[in-house]
Amino acid sequence: MRKLLGIWVVCMLVATSGIKAGEADKLFYALRTKVLTVKDYTADVRMKIDINRMKIPQLKGTLFFKSPNKMRLERHGGLSILPKKNINLTLSNLMPAGNVTVIDAGSAVIDGKKVRIIKVIPEDDMGQIILSKLWIDEANMLILKTETTSRNDGTIAMDLTFGKYASYALPDHVTITMDVKDYKLPKGITMDYNDTPPPPPKDPKEKKPKTQKGTIQINYLSYTINKGIPDAKFADKE
Amino acid sequence: MIQLLKIELYKIFKRPRTYISFGIITAIVLVIQLAMLSDGKSFLGFVMSGVNEQFDIQGNVLNGYLVTYIILQSLLIHIPLLVALVAGDALAGEAAGGTLRLLLTKPISRAKLVLMKFTSSFIYTVLLIIWLAIVGLFGSLLLFGPGDMINLKSDAFVMLLQHDVMWRYMMAFLFATLAMTTIASLALLLSAFADNSIGPIVSTMGIVVVITILSNLELPLFDKIKPFLFTTHMIGWKGFFDDPVPYGAIGFSALVMFLYTVVFLAATIFYFNKKDIKS
Repeated sequence: MRKLLGIWVVCMLVATSGIKAGEADKLFYALRTKVLTVKDYTADVRMKIDINRMKIPQLKGTLFFKSPNKMRLERHGGLSILPKKNINLTLSNLMPAGNVTVIDAGSAVIDGKKVRIIKVIPEDDMGQIILSKLWIDEANMLILKTETTSRNDGTIAMDLTFGKYASYALPDHVTITMDVKDYKLPKGITMDYNDTPPPPPKDPKEKKPKTQKGTIQINYLSYTINKGIPDAKFADKE
Repeated sequence: MIQLLKIELYKIFKRPRTYISFGIITAIVLVIQLAMLSDGKSFLGFVMSGVNEQFDIQGNVLNGYLVTYIILQSLLIHIPLLVALVAGDALAGEAAGGTLRLLLTKPISRAKLVLMKFTSSFIYTVLLIIWLAIVGLFGSLLLFGPGDMINLKSDAFVMLLQHDVMWRYMMAFLFATLAMTTIASLALLLSAFADNSIGPIVSTMGIVVVITILSNLELPLFDKIKPFLFTTHMIGWKGFFDDPVPYGAIGFSALVMFLYTVVFLAATIFYFNKKDIKS
């Protein structure tokens, strides 16, 4: 009797998880379809790049996006800076394309909203994305948070807040956290003005981290969606 | 006093060598500007390789503000020589020409004479820096156009918006004037010791070169003396291109150079008052 009960419990668990996985699959594909309805957009943005050793003021400009992976910030005569990643920093690009394996990873609460967590593994071994973890507001069909592990760019996390463009799954505010490598130039070239006393000598055994976390905050003030943007807009310009 | 100053300025500006300095500045600035026009992108590519690996920077990076920064970085090492050419000759030139004794027969104190020599050297320095601003900054803006400025430090990347740059240059030129005035006062002091112009000019450059090397050597041995060397503080103008501007450090650098100027000037007056003038 005990054995029969055990077998029944195991069968029920497998069946339930199968249903859950099926639901998660549907949820992911439905969300991806929603996100991919946006083929291109032009958005007025305010961008704050907060990366250690990089002092960049808040940048105002126009962000151009064209599916699947073209992105450009234009600053009306000023310099534009965007992280050079193999995958660009849009929601559609941080979601794996093609066939995927979806795993239900439970639920959590973000800003008082109950969200479903799913893990998405692309079936294509050669793609840039290895694993994506998505926090989904099922009621509104929106992704509130992503964590994407890529082949060359480490882990990129994205926190999203939605407003009047939620129907297109386009956020009003995005905070992107990513890995950034440290860099150094010879002082002989820069001839730095030392405004701080030199730091004490470091313990040679102490390993210096090669990468650090940096954040980029983008405030989207307004969008123009699916009006068509020529490819020339994304060509390298001086 | 004004009459004496006018005479001293007349002496400076009647000599062709005075204008050589303005010519040298123009030539160096033009050479750097032409080099940047023809090959500035590869230079930038090398300097910004660490940033370009990770960031895609688009727009007019090689603009007039960045080119001016490169010019100042290269030129402010050489301007002390041009300042020394005039300030080092101020007293020693009179001695070499045999006019110093005659000059001191006039009813003016030796201290006043030194002060006027210093003031005329200061005015020359100011004009030199103004000329540098005209050909360096305004010339570069004409050639390369304005834009947001990138300031690359050895371990940091600073971006300044276009509207936030011009005041920094004005402050930087003001600071450079103070730095060059310190050099002028040193050259004047050495000029008081000598009876020919070459000695003070060469000695001034020698001192500047040696202590600039000490200031830039990254050896712990020199860390303790670096804050007391005026060459360490001469590059304080760069602080205006940081964000936030390290006003405390710049103020300290300015104070150190001001004190050096006062000490050099006081030492010149003290020595010149006691000097036995034989020519």
